[in-house]
Amino acid sequence: MTVVTDRGDSSARRPAPSPAPRRMGGRAGRARLAPLLLVAPFALLLLATVLVPIGYALYLSLFTERLSGLGFSGPEDVFVWLSNYGAVLSDPAFAESVWNVARYALVHVPLMLGAALVLALLLDGAVVWLRQVWSLAVFLPYAVPGVIAGLVWAYLFSPGIGPLNDVLPWDPLGSEGVLPSIVTMATWQWMGYNMIIFYTALRTVPRDVLEAARIDGAGPVRTALSVKVPIIRPTIFVALVFTVIGSLQLFTEPLVLRSFTGSVTSTWTPSLYVYEAAFITNDYGRAAAASLLLALACAVLSALVMRLSTRRSG
Amino acid sequence: MVLDTGWSRRAFLRATLGAAALGAGGATLSGCSSSTTASGATRVRIWSWLTGMDRYVAAFNAAQREVHVELSVIAAGLDGGYAQQTNAIRARNAPDILHVEYQGLIQVLATGGLRDITDDMSDLAEGYSDAAWRGVRPDGRTWAVPMDLAPMVFYYRADLFDRHGIAVPRTWDEFRVAAEAVREADPAARLTTFPLNDGSFFAGMSWQAGQPWWRIDGDTWVVDVDGEGTLRTGSYWQDLISSDLVGSGGTGTQDWIASMHEGRLWGLLGASWSVGTLQKSIPDDTGRWAVTTMPTWGGEPANGMQGGTAFGVSEDSQVPEAAMTFLRWLSTDPEVPRIGATFTSPFPGYLPNREVARDEVGLDYFVGDPVFDVLEEADRRVPEWTWGPNALGLFSNITDSFGGVPAGRTTIPDALRRVQGVALSGLRERGLSARAGGAA
Repeated sequence: MTVVTDRGDSSARRPAPSPAPRRMGGRAGRARLAPLLLVAPFALLLLATVLVPIGYALYLSLFTERLSGLGFSGPEDVFVWLSNYGAVLSDPAFAESVWNVARYALVHVPLMLGAALVLALLLDGAVVWLRQVWSLAVFLPYAVPGVIAGLVWAYLFSPGIGPLNDVLPWDPLGSEGVLPSIVTMATWQWMGYNMIIFYTALRTVPRDVLEAARIDGAGPVRTALSVKVPIIRPTIFVALVFTVIGSLQLFTEPLVLRSFTGSVTSTWTPSLYVYEAAFITNDYGRAAAASLLLALACAVLSALVMRLSTRRSG
Repeated sequence: MVLDTGWSRRAFLRATLGAAALGAGGATLSGCSSSTTASGATRVRIWSWLTGMDRYVAAFNAAQREVHVELSVIAAGLDGGYAQQTNAIRARNAPDILHVEYQGLIQVLATGGLRDITDDMSDLAEGYSDAAWRGVRPDGRTWAVPMDLAPMVFYYRADLFDRHGIAVPRTWDEFRVAAEAVREADPAARLTTFPLNDGSFFAGMSWQAGQPWWRIDGDTWVVDVDGEGTLRTGSYWQDLISSDLVGSGGTGTQDWIASMHEGRLWGLLGASWSVGTLQKSIPDDTGRWAVTTMPTWGGEPANGMQGGTAFGVSEDSQVPEAAMTFLRWLSTDPEVPRIGATFTSPFPGYLPNREVARDEVGLDYFVGDPVFDVLEEADRRVPEWTWGPNALGLFSNITDSFGGVPAGRTTIPDALRRVQGVALSGLRERGLSARAGGAA
């Protein structure tokens, strides 16, 4: 976000906007300098906040702390090649955490994006009264900080305090019930946000296209499915990528629920696994390896989804 | 661009919890690097999550001009405090004084961040209770200064016990009888809850059986989480939980406070600090609760501890003498329990201070035996115990493994055998020599 703003700023500040490239020494030099200047803020931030940390994590992941004797003399860093990766990949706790987010994503992604799309289409299609109020109301959960929302939900789920325990068809804090509970929490939080994205995209659908569809005899449902959705498909895929990545990185909701139920283990999701390895077991090498694997999985998955989107629309 | 905003914000929210500890650490680090203040006093930095530490520090700074202590309050140990301290030790910018509990001492020690203070402390040996002194000397060297002690005791609703003619249980057999009597007197009530989500609580309950989870044998760690005494403890509670005689939910939650106040829980397996918890969470219950020593296995007087604070001096500290000056004051000066008594009920590890606390703390909240008598008896009953270099990680392993117990997917003894395996292989992976206790 900041990157985008910075780039805008520096282009506004550019001293002499040259309309067309001319073959003149000084100008050409400046023109060659300009792209570098424009790219610099982004490149620096990328370097400092993404590439350097990833490089450091890579470095950490190749070492492990070895104690000797009883361990009272403190640890020594030992180079271990890729054995931290081996340890993570062969750890049943890590496999279980991946399985948990996979099940979570399988329910959460279609449910949340589907509901957001339906709401956006309704908002866009029907003559809705108080459109602003509606969209604000659905969007509001996104404005609640994740931890606060988690606590509120946890209290709602708690037997004896919250009402949901008696109403829901599943035991919200039981070993089988935490997954649907977490899906509920996340869907509540992210639906409105994605609805706004879809709605914004829908507003850009050319009105003449819609008019043409109506003249051809398409009803509102047909228009929505055959005209609007295909036009905003790129937006849907972008939202899909973000949601898939967000699902892989699931952290806040299970962490908060953990203090309310024993059903969420300390390694329930890959992100929790990393947190546990780094900050409870003090195994920085394994934590770095697991977080790089997680980053890799995110990259591969988003590349896959993007690929899918271009093939479909192409 | 809207998407970009959302994404970075989402990532930010996700990372908030993890980053909080690091951020707080960074903020305190940038403060000061010089070792003296403007007025020439030696500057000592301390990180702590002890309730009321700000008042102790203020009193110390007001009382003398040689040493100026600067306190940074950090998150409680397992909620991020240990993570923050461990990171700082690794980054070689730890404060001069670190907050450790007896249970976390060895794990912090294994980061190489603590200074050997055997010589600085040798003259105080006689003053501390045995359990406190043993707790800071795992290998015959002194690594921390004891602050308070947390022997485990049993709190119960004296009024309800009297009304229904239930005898206060002295042994665990009697405890089961009492649990049945409570359920009979009020089907909605249980004698207590056995919090399965608290590994350090379970460790304290197992401590009583007299078989430490860790032992040092020469250069080898002997791990014994599935020893006979621990398994007996585990089977006993498994039976009570599956017979629906006790609950298994956590303590300290809103739900728990409501249950305690409304008579749905008639007892608490607690520690010395539960005195403060009860007074704070259910202040209207004055005159209802009494405290007694933990029930025992067959009359053998013993009970464990849960928690208890000590402070270590950082290996990298430039001002270890000044740090020790403050810590000796904090641990042994009678002014400290006097201050502490104004907002909590301290149970110091230093025996002369315990007498001060006994006189200062007002405990008209409780009925029955005087609270300090019970706590002191409990302190004397604490058997030998050694914590290991993976104690804190083990607590979260235990919590994870016990997760399936309420639903019947596993039993406590099975879970303990699993934890033992993980603990042993974990130590070996870190390069320590370790073997199972049963093989000895």
